[in-house]
Amino acid sequence: MRKVALKGLLARKTRLGLTALAVALGVMLIAGTYVFTDTINRSFDRIFTAVYAKTDAVVSPNDSIGSQDNGTVPSLDGSVLARVKALPQVGEAQGVVNDQSGVVIGKDGKAIKSGGAPTIIGSVLPARFSAAEYPQGHAPANAGEVSIDKATAKRKGLHVGDTIGLQAAAPRKQYRISGLLTIAGVDSLGGATTVELTLPEAQRVTGKVGRYDEIYVAGRPGTTPAQLKAAIQQVEPSSVTVRTGKQQTKNQQDDIKGALSFLTTALLAFAGISLFVGAFIIFNTFSITVAQRAREFALLRTLGASRRQVLRSVLTEGLVLGVLGSLVGLGIGIVVASGLRALFKAVGVDLPSSGTVIESRTIIVSLLVGIVVTLIASLAPALRATRVPPVAALREGVALPQTRTSRLAFPLAVVLTAIGFALMAWGLFGGGSSSKALSLLGGGAALTFLGVALLSPRLVGPIASAVGRPLQALAGMTGRLARENTVRQPGRTAVTAAALMIGVALVTFASIFAAGAKKTINDAVDTGSNASVILQNINGFGPFSPGAAKAVAGVQGVQDVSPMRFSQGKLAGKDVQVTGIDPASFSTLYNVTHGSDKLKALPPDGVVVAKGYADDHDVKPGQRLQVKTPTTRTVSLRVTGIAEDRGQLLSQLTVDNQTLVRDFASTKDGFVLVGFAPGADAKAVKHAVDARLSQDFPQVEALTESEFKGNQADQINQLLGLIYALLALAIVVSLFGIVNTLVLSITERTRELGMLRAIGTSRRQVRRMIRYEAVITALIGGVLGLVLGVVLAILVTQPLDGFKLSIPVGSLVVVLILSAVAGVMAAVLPARRASRLDVLDALAYE
Amino acid sequence: MPAPSSTATTTSAIVAATDLTRRYGEGEAAVDALRGVTIAFPPSRFTAIMGASGSGKSTLMHILAGLDRPTSGSVVLDGTELAGLDDQGLTTLRRDKVGFIFQSFNLLPVLTAEENILLPLSIAGQKPDPEWIERLVDTVGLRDRLTHRPAELSGGQQQRVAVARALASRPAVVFADEPTGNLDSTTSGEVLALLRRSVDEFGQTIIMVTHDPDAAAVGDRTITLTDGRVSSDEDR
Repeated sequence: MRKVALKGLLARKTRLGLTALAVALGVMLIAGTYVFTDTINRSFDRIFTAVYAKTDAVVSPNDSIGSQDNGTVPSLDGSVLARVKALPQVGEAQGVVNDQSGVVIGKDGKAIKSGGAPTIIGSVLPARFSAAEYPQGHAPANAGEVSIDKATAKRKGLHVGDTIGLQAAAPRKQYRISGLLTIAGVDSLGGATTVELTLPEAQRVTGKVGRYDEIYVAGRPGTTPAQLKAAIQQVEPSSVTVRTGKQQTKNQQDDIKGALSFLTTALLAFAGISLFVGAFIIFNTFSITVAQRAREFALLRTLGASRRQVLRSVLTEGLVLGVLGSLVGLGIGIVVASGLRALFKAVGVDLPSSGTVIESRTIIVSLLVGIVVTLIASLAPALRATRVPPVAALREGVALPQTRTSRLAFPLAVVLTAIGFALMAWGLFGGGSSSKALSLLGGGAALTFLGVALLSPRLVGPIASAVGRPLQALAGMTGRLARENTVRQPGRTAVTAAALMIGVALVTFASIFAAGAKKTINDAVDTGSNASVILQNINGFGPFSPGAAKAVAGVQGVQDVSPMRFSQGKLAGKDVQVTGIDPASFSTLYNVTHGSDKLKALPPDGVVVAKGYADDHDVKPGQRLQVKTPTTRTVSLRVTGIAEDRGQLLSQLTVDNQTLVRDFASTKDGFVLVGFAPGADAKAVKHAVDARLSQDFPQVEALTESEFKGNQADQINQLLGLIYALLALAIVVSLFGIVNTLVLSITERTRELGMLRAIGTSRRQVRRMIRYEAVITALIGGVLGLVLGVVLAILVTQPLDGFKLSIPVGSLVVVLILSAVAGVMAAVLPARRASRLDVLDALAYE
Repeated sequence: MPAPSSTATTTSAIVAATDLTRRYGEGEAAVDALRGVTIAFPPSRFTAIMGASGSGKSTLMHILAGLDRPTSGSVVLDGTELAGLDDQGLTTLRRDKVGFIFQSFNLLPVLTAEENILLPLSIAGQKPDPEWIERLVDTVGLRDRLTHRPAELSGGQQQRVAVARALASRPAVVFADEPTGNLDSTTSGEVLALLRRSVDEFGQTIIMVTHDPDAAAVGDRTITLTDGRVSSDEDR
């Protein structure tokens, strides 16, 4: 029996190949994701191990609130170093600067962007602690020298002796490159642009004079790292975290892994989508072939094969297919990991990789998932095969008996769709953590897709009619036949179309979501902002030196300058986002929906609470809020008002910037709203602002409202592009499904095709007929996906406060057209096959 | 009375074949299905081609109809030399000048009886001649079945639809390949009578391959093939 299964597979190589590819593509993304992220993790592991290799203990600020990277965590006071040094257990202690808020300016005068990776400004370490090596030149020895990582130097064509600029808290200053830097033999700190200055210069540039980001400690001989840590903890307040060198290494590695795990999950989710679509293809292919081979199974049964043997024979086919597809997927995935890196690089996120890391987990998970998905998808068809009665071998044109499940399909479809929507609603409105909400949404969407797929046999007829009639008008009988052929086996067409539907629905969903996000931002800017220009970090989100606002304030024609800061705190144990404003100028340059007066009158120890937050947490004016700040102190803030900002610029709590500086140790601006003097020549003033910024603060750009909107739209579009690229995989898989179904249907209709050719149908007409059949199938998937995507988008954006729903009709029409084009592409091979059939062979085909 | 058909002038024939050979395969395994067949079919005649299986009768019909190409020799159909036509040329020729009736009916299950009848015209993008179609439908006796799909018709009815389809474009010649092979004797009789009528009433030329002597007896002339050669050629 096993031989029968294997022979059956080999006899149909095209189908085997296409079906295996349906599994392979999903598995490819799984393997690719693992290899990709493992490789990144491995490179960071190496780097951090080297960085802290010579350090027994590391003192760093307590970052339980806020994050050092986004500048909301205060640096260490110089007195900490003095106290640590005084400890008898301490052999040597070194304060270091390790700042990520600056920017390096290349020889061309432009800031060096390193994708998503940060720019790190560090201080030179004494040899006792240093992991740095200088393959060329030497460490900076005075305030005018800098060393830069070799990878960036290579990328930007920089050499020892060249001049580059640096700007962080202090305005831009030019430095001479004294050396090229590598760490643990790695040219780049994970894609980051890394520069080193002497300690005092690093402190000055980053605005941390007399302060440190970390203190590296070496114990006296005989003191273990654990003892050292304990000794430091004795003398240090809780605003400081002490870790041994090993713990610090682990901590940093875990931070990276944590940051990457989101990426891993997101990529695996897309792999899951591809596999889900692949499962449809496998199910459909097996269903069709089992139906076509009904007589063969009946014959086997007549010859004495048991039901179990028939089942095993079909499942063996599934197993072989699963193994084959998964192996191929694994292989391609390993190769494709570097493709993923290129994809991220293309959208501006440059992730490091050194070598290719293949964990055994990658292999096991990839193969297991691929095989299990294939087996599950082939189970139902296999069970159907066992129901063929032996007597069918003797009859002409056997049809498989209708199963109970197929009679129950309609009610089941309705129930599944309903449960799917219920799950999504639960995820959206039921509260709970965002990961729980996301899994509920995902599961609900998957069930909805299944439900609609089961429902779709009933929709195939009407949709085929609607989209097929124009084709019929266009192409007469070939169009007519194409349409009739799609509805001949509605279940088959439905599953084929449903596979495409999933991809189209998600693309539709993403584009509606993105369009809504853009509209929300545009509306917020249009109705909210009165600013002539907005200053922001050139990376679009980072904080920047308050010096920029001061510099711009000095430009002729600038009237109002209103910096905004973003920090965070803890309120009743929960994270809250805090915005800082300059009450006097803010209301001039920005209109909130309600409560503008409250913001204008915001006193230094007061807080204005966002309406949504106040409603949810029953906050009333006059009440006092105890907010724990990133300094780990708790401040008491009096609620002076409630404000509503549909523009979403303000976060849950809004305080005076002075409060942020004093109590939250905030040192950087997030955005700065700038108003020009009435009657000033806006163009000229903007020009002067640009000139001033590029002179002293090249990290900051001034954007007009329309530039700001465009900038935000660009960021959304980049993300959307990435999502499209990943969804393309699922769509390609569904195209294989169309190809497969067409090839199989054509085989079934061989004799018909022979007759058509005999009575004078040209090859071109045959090709056109198949092509139209594919187009109609694809359009059914497209229409279903479009409708489902719109419904999902409306549903999901419902609970989002202030989200402006916007249906991008143009994009959706393009999606539909692309579905049709996809159909044309899927038809190329089957159409060629059908048109090349030998007429006589086809007529004689059984 | 035996007719000297092999020497008949080809100019008056609708279909004429000269020195046809057809060899399948190569070398030792080669099979000669036709070994030099010269034959002409005058218009408005009903010819039956008989022979045991493997005699080459189907091959001959396929070559005459432009479905297969001879290894050597020539076929002229309604004035056109088939050897000079490429696939597209042959397709157009079949569409415009040839009608087919198959043993297994070969109707399109997705189309109604009427649509099946009009199929060759639809494929050619031609408007049917309503009078002719009316007459045809009445002749095959399917007026009350026109909207039915093949699955709703009996075998005999299906084959009558197929006959109407073959005649719909008024082809120069209709080829029928064992048209009664799948029918019982009663319905066979009906279909054969229909073919006879189309020759007598419409002047249709029909070439029918069959191994059934009763079916052949309905024709005007019976050609028998043995081992790829014409072994007898008799007019009724």
